[in-house]
Amino acid sequence: MHINRVLSALLKINIQQELAYRTDTLINILTSAMWLGWELIGLSIIFSNTNSIGGWRAGDIIALLGVFRLVNTFMMMVVWPNTEKFNRGIREGSLDYTFLQPIDSQFMVSFSRIVIWNVWNLIIGVALIVAGLSMTSSTTSFAGVATFLLLTFSGGVVIYSLWVVLIALTFWFTKFDNNVTLMQALMDAGRYPATIYPTWLRVIITFIVPVALATTVPLQALRGELAWWQIALALLVSLLAFCVSRLVWKAGIKRYSGASS
Amino acid sequence: MLNIYKRFWQVNWAEQWQYRANLVMYLAYWMVMPIVYLAVWTTIAREQGSVNGLTANDFAAYYLTLLPVDIITSSIVIHVLAYKIQEGSISNELMQPVHPVLTNTLTNNVAFKALNLLVFVPLWLVLVLLFQPHFTYTWQSALLALPALAIGFFTRFLLDSCVTLVAFWTTRVWSIQQFNDAIGILLNGAFVPLALMPAWVQTIAQVLPYQLGASFPTLLLLNKLTPEQIALNYALGIFWVLALLGLFQFMWKRAIKQYSAVGA
Repeated sequence: MHINRVLSALLKINIQQELAYRTDTLINILTSAMWLGWELIGLSIIFSNTNSIGGWRAGDIIALLGVFRLVNTFMMMVVWPNTEKFNRGIREGSLDYTFLQPIDSQFMVSFSRIVIWNVWNLIIGVALIVAGLSMTSSTTSFAGVATFLLLTFSGGVVIYSLWVVLIALTFWFTKFDNNVTLMQALMDAGRYPATIYPTWLRVIITFIVPVALATTVPLQALRGELAWWQIALALLVSLLAFCVSRLVWKAGIKRYSGASS
Repeated sequence: MLNIYKRFWQVNWAEQWQYRANLVMYLAYWMVMPIVYLAVWTTIAREQGSVNGLTANDFAAYYLTLLPVDIITSSIVIHVLAYKIQEGSISNELMQPVHPVLTNTLTNNVAFKALNLLVFVPLWLVLVLLFQPHFTYTWQSALLALPALAIGFFTRFLLDSCVTLVAFWTTRVWSIQQFNDAIGILLNGAFVPLALMPAWVQTIAQVLPYQLGASFPTLLLLNKLTPEQIALNYALGIFWVLALLGLFQFMWKRAIKQYSAVGA
């Protein structure tokens, strides 16, 4: 398939780029290991003072940290680097070349830069989820795990859609080059269950910058806290969000004119 | 000398105003994690009644005091200085007959902070309304905290400057800074009031300079320290400012001796 071939070519280029900076890769991995240690020390301090936070035990929180790491890694691996590239493209006019390519512009803008070393973070994320879940005594069914994966993916789609809308706004407001800063700032709130936050913060990270949809909600499903209609609603929202972002992107690129034109 | 600082202030204050649109975003960045920790600890305190004697209100008052303290003592040295060293544009400043870091970078930091605080105060008032903590400030504690805040700022500024100077020798300065940051957040009381740490960690945190920029001024403002603790922290503070200043001057002399700009 066309898109698959382009994607594998992009992967190849990005792997080559990564290999050109081997020491950086090593240092990045070490730094991320250090932050992992930091997070685990932090959790051990929290749980030396309590058994649970808002009904979430250590295992649940570690699994949540794993899901958060998956989502956050997706942002660090693909979303933020491509934002940087996109904003530079708008400023300098190099975005012209993206539109000249015979491939969907949203696809190219979203996935042309992939920071490969982050694969390590994905592995850590999965390891944390498995470790966290095995610490909680509750048995998890196959259906539960499937729902969990589906909801993580659909939550990721919602965040991605919001991102597309935010960067597409740059077509209307050219000076809007801190388009994603607020989103970056709020990502960190995904580390802990949204249910413990005060209402206003919970509203922000559920509806405005929906980090919680990709972190807390999938784990709630796994813990059996969600009714079937809530799961269906989450999936529907992500489908809608994707369609809306697609429309905004299409309308946005019609407004595009290269820098200095 | 005062005139030099005045001039640098005018330039840097005007320069910071260029970035006013970024301020709210930047502050959001700054505020999310403390609010998250605040939520985590107040939830635990409410479930158990208290954590180690600290109630939900204590945590709210602690973190909402820590926020402005952290802004006042924070430093952005590495962000303004590291790239100048790496790209060689520090050469211009080295030609001037004043110390670039202790004049230009310093006033730039203070200007950035001052503008930040202007935007921060209304946001902070909103947070106070939302959490409604009972603050235990008195005017004595506020007066006592002023020099503590200055000490906190200078320890952080000098420590960050020393880390940044490593850029003269290696391009990996950002990794070192991340490492320094991670230790800092854990041991300065930003993640959790140090009283909740294991005793041996508390001892380490007490001696290291990190807590001087966060935990000490915060607890001092909240009237949580005995006179002996206040005296000890002030003594440590003065020691660290002098020690870091010495280290900084030592590194600076070595750094400019072996510095050669890109393309030289």
